[in-house]
Amino acid sequence: MPETLRAVVVDDEAPARSLLREYLSAHEDIAVAAECANGFEAVKVIHELKPEIVFLDVQMPKLDGFEVLELLEPGPAVVFCTAYDEYALRAFEVHAVDYLLKPFGRERLSEALARVRARRGEASATSTATIAAPVMHALEISAAARPGSRPLERILVRDGAKVHVIPVDQVDYLEAQDDYVAIHAQGRSWLKPQPLAELAAQLDAGRFVRIHRSYVLQVTRLARLELYAKDSRVAILPDGRQLPVSRSGYARLRELM
Amino acid sequence: MHPLLLGRRRLILFAVACLDVGIAVGLLLKLIDHRSILNAYAFAIPVAFMFGFVCLSAWWVCRTAPLTTTPHGKLATRLLLATAQAIAVGAVLAFAWEAFILHAFGIAPGRIGRAGDFGIMAAVMLFLYPVSIVVHYLMLVFDQAREAERSVLESRVAARESELRALRAQLNPHFLFNSLNSINALIGGDPEGARRMCESLGDFLRRTLNLGARDVVPLADELALVDRYLGIERVRFGERLRVERRIDAEAARCLVPPLLLQPLVENAIKHGVAGRIEGGTVRLDAYRDGDRLVIEVENDVDPEQPARRGEGHGLDNVKRRLDAFSAREARLDVREEPGRFRVLLTLPAHLAGAPMEGAASA
Repeated sequence: MPETLRAVVVDDEAPARSLLREYLSAHEDIAVAAECANGFEAVKVIHELKPEIVFLDVQMPKLDGFEVLELLEPGPAVVFCTAYDEYALRAFEVHAVDYLLKPFGRERLSEALARVRARRGEASATSTATIAAPVMHALEISAAARPGSRPLERILVRDGAKVHVIPVDQVDYLEAQDDYVAIHAQGRSWLKPQPLAELAAQLDAGRFVRIHRSYVLQVTRLARLELYAKDSRVAILPDGRQLPVSRSGYARLRELM
Repeated sequence: MHPLLLGRRRLILFAVACLDVGIAVGLLLKLIDHRSILNAYAFAIPVAFMFGFVCLSAWWVCRTAPLTTTPHGKLATRLLLATAQAIAVGAVLAFAWEAFILHAFGIAPGRIGRAGDFGIMAAVMLFLYPVSIVVHYLMLVFDQAREAERSVLESRVAARESELRALRAQLNPHFLFNSLNSINALIGGDPEGARRMCESLGDFLRRTLNLGARDVVPLADELALVDRYLGIERVRFGERLRVERRIDAEAARCLVPPLLLQPLVENAIKHGVAGRIEGGTVRLDAYRDGDRLVIEVENDVDPEQPARRGEGHGLDNVKRRLDAFSAREARLDVREEPGRFRVLLTLPAHLAGAPMEGAASA
């Protein structure tokens, strides 16, 4: 008797959800644990239920499929289901197990499920090995060739089952805290499990400057700079907060201003 | 600037004409007055050139008093006045030149004297200026005809181009994929619904192709297409998609370029209603405002939604189609408020059955 895999279906369109439910009912080892109609709900439900499989639409209100994935701990096998083929490369970059193009039939879904089971069988030892080497190579090339996609417009932070959306405009500065980034915005701060450098790289380089090993500042928030000691400065924010500025940070800041 | 003075070839032609007139008048003077040929030409040729330039002024007269629209009385007065002015200016110039060559080179008029010269020059001018007026009117008519022909061709090309573009945009593959997926879903639990959806989809596609092949269609036909489209999308979005329509009966009879409305409604759903968890309303208004037809497409948007992607394109397409329909009178305005997005189309109200000015017939 194979283990039962719990699946969560995320799609903002009811017919699409009912179709998946119908197809999945033919597979005895799969149980649909929940259906979600939007990204917020998906993050909450998946975080709480910790299903083995997630069927994920891409275009949804509030959070798209990729944003949902970004907010979740790795774990569930993700199968994207969308009418758009242009997200396929990105889907494999985030280690999706399969990518179903609507409309798809039972057989195609069965293939995807076979892939899910196969990957579970490998006990995630080599999670990307299921993708053929040439494909991986092509993916790497395309990732490298991509001209630094569009800068981030909002930062998403999950706090338990709740999702905070912080528009980049509101961010004052980012601060590295061990494996987390503290995002300071409008007098509050949020913690996101991500290296500072990685998040900083996604932001508009014309607005955010790494002023110190542990700090990235939104330039418009800088009230003034003060010399603190020889070769060492502090950035002062409009509300009086002070951030250290390293020598190379000062050089970067000057270059921008 | 007078068009003659812009092209070198035209300028040479003009100079040759002046020279011819000068030579002819010079010969006339020699015959009547028995002057030496040099004497006659020293007077006649420069004066002919002066007259030539005075005659060019007819261009402004012709342009400001178009033949077809100026009342007859006004036109006659205007032309007579212009001729009298031209003769006066010509006479003064001729007089001045005669005085100049007398003083500078001692070239005096012959037996008929200054008064005789004056009379001859006035007669020449009286002949030349009306000729110039006629030539200028002919030139204007010719230019207008060429311009009209070009603009008709241009608008025809633009119309065809936008038609193709609209058709391509209309058959948005993702719309088809999603619709097919919905049909696929309905087959399981609601076969009757699946049939209805196949029918709606077929109907929508057929209407799109039919409308796309026409130059103008009654707004009512556009609305019927939008209804089919909304019917299909309602299956996908369910209760999340709400529609409010306020259409004047008279507005519905107005003629509009085909496939204008559906892309706007598609945008309203894609960038508005679909981005809201609770869905939203698409509002369609069409009414007459005097001799204009106003169409409004408004939708709710998620105020926190990041900047729209790719919406500009859909609106550009609609804008181009409006321009091809009536570049001077048709407009597209976008109004954005927090939580609302509205597109306003203003078109000249042409009623079905009434003749349309400037419309290219297929």
